[in-house]
Amino acid sequence: MILYILRRLLSVVFTFIVVSIIIFLMMHAVPGGPFDGNDMPVSPEVRAKLMAQLGLDKPLPEQYFRYMWGVLHLDFGVPFQSPGETVLQLLGRAWVPSLTLGGLGVLIGAPLGILLGMAAALRRNTWIDYLASAFATLGLTIPVFVTSMLLILIFAVWLGWLPASGWGKPEKWILPIIAYATIPMATYARYTRSAMLDVLTRPFVTVLRAKGLSERRILFVHVLRNAALPLVTVFLPMFIGTATGSIFVEAMFRVPGLGAYFVSSIETRDYALEMSLILMITTMFCIAYLLSDLAYALLDPRIRRRR
Amino acid sequence: MTFLRSLAAAALIGTSALTGFSPAVAQETVYAAGDTTTGTYMDYMKTVYARAGNPEITQIPLTSFDKDFQLNALAAESWSQSEDGLTWTFKLRPGLVWSDGTPLKASDYIFALQHAATTGYDFAWYWGYAGGIKNWGPVTEGKADVATLGISAPDDLTIVVNTETPKPYLPGVVSLWYPVPKHVFDKLGDDWSTNVDTLVASGPFMVKEWEKSNNSMVLVKNPTYTGPWQPTVDELVIDPSLGAPEVGLPAFMAGEADFAYLNAGQIPFVEKQFPGQITKNAVFAVSYISFDLESAPFDNVNVRKALAAAINRDELTATVLKDLAIPGKSLLPPGYPGYNEAITSQAVFDPAKAKALLAEAGYPDGKGFPEVEIWYRDQGGYNGAITLPMLQYLQAQFKDILGITMNIKILPMKDWMDGLTGRKNNLFLAPYEYDYIDPSNFYGIFYNGGRHSHHVPAYDELVAKADSSPNWEDRAALYQQAEQVLIDNASMIPVVHPITNAVVSKDLVGEGAGPNKLGFTPLRQLALYFYTHVDKQ
Repeated sequence: MILYILRRLLSVVFTFIVVSIIIFLMMHAVPGGPFDGNDMPVSPEVRAKLMAQLGLDKPLPEQYFRYMWGVLHLDFGVPFQSPGETVLQLLGRAWVPSLTLGGLGVLIGAPLGILLGMAAALRRNTWIDYLASAFATLGLTIPVFVTSMLLILIFAVWLGWLPASGWGKPEKWILPIIAYATIPMATYARYTRSAMLDVLTRPFVTVLRAKGLSERRILFVHVLRNAALPLVTVFLPMFIGTATGSIFVEAMFRVPGLGAYFVSSIETRDYALEMSLILMITTMFCIAYLLSDLAYALLDPRIRRRR
Repeated sequence: MTFLRSLAAAALIGTSALTGFSPAVAQETVYAAGDTTTGTYMDYMKTVYARAGNPEITQIPLTSFDKDFQLNALAAESWSQSEDGLTWTFKLRPGLVWSDGTPLKASDYIFALQHAATTGYDFAWYWGYAGGIKNWGPVTEGKADVATLGISAPDDLTIVVNTETPKPYLPGVVSLWYPVPKHVFDKLGDDWSTNVDTLVASGPFMVKEWEKSNNSMVLVKNPTYTGPWQPTVDELVIDPSLGAPEVGLPAFMAGEADFAYLNAGQIPFVEKQFPGQITKNAVFAVSYISFDLESAPFDNVNVRKALAAAINRDELTATVLKDLAIPGKSLLPPGYPGYNEAITSQAVFDPAKAKALLAEAGYPDGKGFPEVEIWYRDQGGYNGAITLPMLQYLQAQFKDILGITMNIKILPMKDWMDGLTGRKNNLFLAPYEYDYIDPSNFYGIFYNGGRHSHHVPAYDELVAKADSSPNWEDRAALYQQAEQVLIDNASMIPVVHPITNAVVSKDLVGEGAGPNKLGFTPLRQLALYFYTHVDKQ
């Protein structure tokens, strides 16, 4: 097992390097640079001076190795669009709202989705199933900015119960978190329903019932555990996806999170920030899949034995 | 299932308890939309296009315009021009101080421009183009020492500006000349304007809080400010996220914004929901068609005139661009100084004349006319909303009336600009918004090449004379003659003047919130005037 983990960690490092090279090359292959996008671009002389100040006049391989050397020392550079701070400081402040929003969204949405999916599976072809399935389908198909707008109109404009947007006070978190939570809730509801239905029809469930086990025990100890594998596959990557910010939810609710930086760093050719964001996500996804694989082993003894 | 029901009930109860909160809105605070979420430096003299927040209201310019576009003395108490017209002397009003108590000196203004001239200011072109400051070009290109720049401060209250040619409108140009606190800059460099703790203000407001992720700011009255245009509200919350109509309108409806900009789809809804609360603002801009005058088929004046006669501006702005633009029948927008209503009568939609002109050019019913491509630039804001529908309308008009096939191509800003100045195409849709309030601003677009390689000696001669003439009436007459040259030559075709729409809270009162003599409400377009002349009931 330890060897397996070490091997996987090594693959994380490999993936990290490969992604960094690809992203670096793609970033620089896009036409334009950090001082080309203004309404009235700066003069060539001044542009050259500014590029030199940021080391962008050096050959690409040198720029790459300089950057990666910095990364090795946890120095991700200075964001061009916010030069008064380091990339790490920027991530530190902007990630908190995104993490709060995304984290709570998943932590609330996922259990609710599991409950919804379970209810739908246990009451298959009843109104509960139809309602849960309709809810899950709507949650997945309605764009999140539409959900956000509806939430604002109902709870902020018509009912006046909650602020329409903003951040800071906890009451301002509620609507964006609900908007966020709809996606994991809908996803989990669908996954749970199909996984539960698959397990519920297996022979071992009939055997358990024949043995006289209570429905609750069969459900939570045996069925849910066997149905959990596909849910584990979805959970961590989804958690990362939401924790890195949603540009739509954050824009609609004016949340000062990380989402907008994914777009603005590309728009403004903010190479240091763009690289850092991609590398951060890459690392998180690698670790998430590693943890998912370890969770499989914990949940399924057959996988443990194969390793 | 009992367990599931219990859990669902608990979740509902929890949600209900949380929803008991209600937003608190302080009455003395104005909540407003800001400009950009991605700006960096809160210093207009460091960057204009990537500035954070509204340095226009935390620093005091030498002069400024009110909502009727009358020039007002701000930091400068008075100004005078030398007899040869080449030297302007501005006298600062005594007693102005920075928010940290340090006296505001003429040298802070001099330092601001000297620094801008030598460190890649993205608005540097303005001080050469509009200001005509002596040696501005060589200094910005690194060919001359900054000490040779035509600006100086003989004492703490005097600023002297030497220009290359007489600039009778310089007092208007310096409405964008803000000071930089040299005493702070010397310690911190450019970073002084990136941190709420190191910002110092010379204007009516100062920054209290700065949320960097979306550049929203809380501004309060600057207690040390002694100049004109004192703030009338205690606090401003300016959030650029509110600038997007999709975000701003819901926030407005929930009482979290005092005004919100509207897109075309929102206007009918808002007209019903908030009757009488929509304000319009002419942004002093023009969208026009421009040509490479030396490239066929547009080297033929009759071709250009045919296109001009085939445009039905009234229909365009009453249908496709309803509420988003007004007909553009002259280079200058209505209300802009020097605007000549009489000249607009020449911009007539006349399909028969258009056909005849094209036939005269050798292309009867468009036969033999090459397929052409019009280039426009990818842009957000009001231009983004109007450009493509406008071009599609023109495309259909030109096809129907003239039999011309005009393809449409969108380009990134830089590529479009390169194409325009490098003459990589011969047909462009170009937007232009004013930078300073004087006709020379718009006429300069075509002066001596300008941004279009437009070389028409008669035009250049008239504009040069108008630019340096000391008498306003003479200048206005010369500019009108220059515009007649543009029309006769069909050098460009003005199509529309964009307007913006906003819904404004009834609680917002004061001179700044009301319309000007032309019926337009500038709102944050004239930020310093607006925020110092608005109050909340």
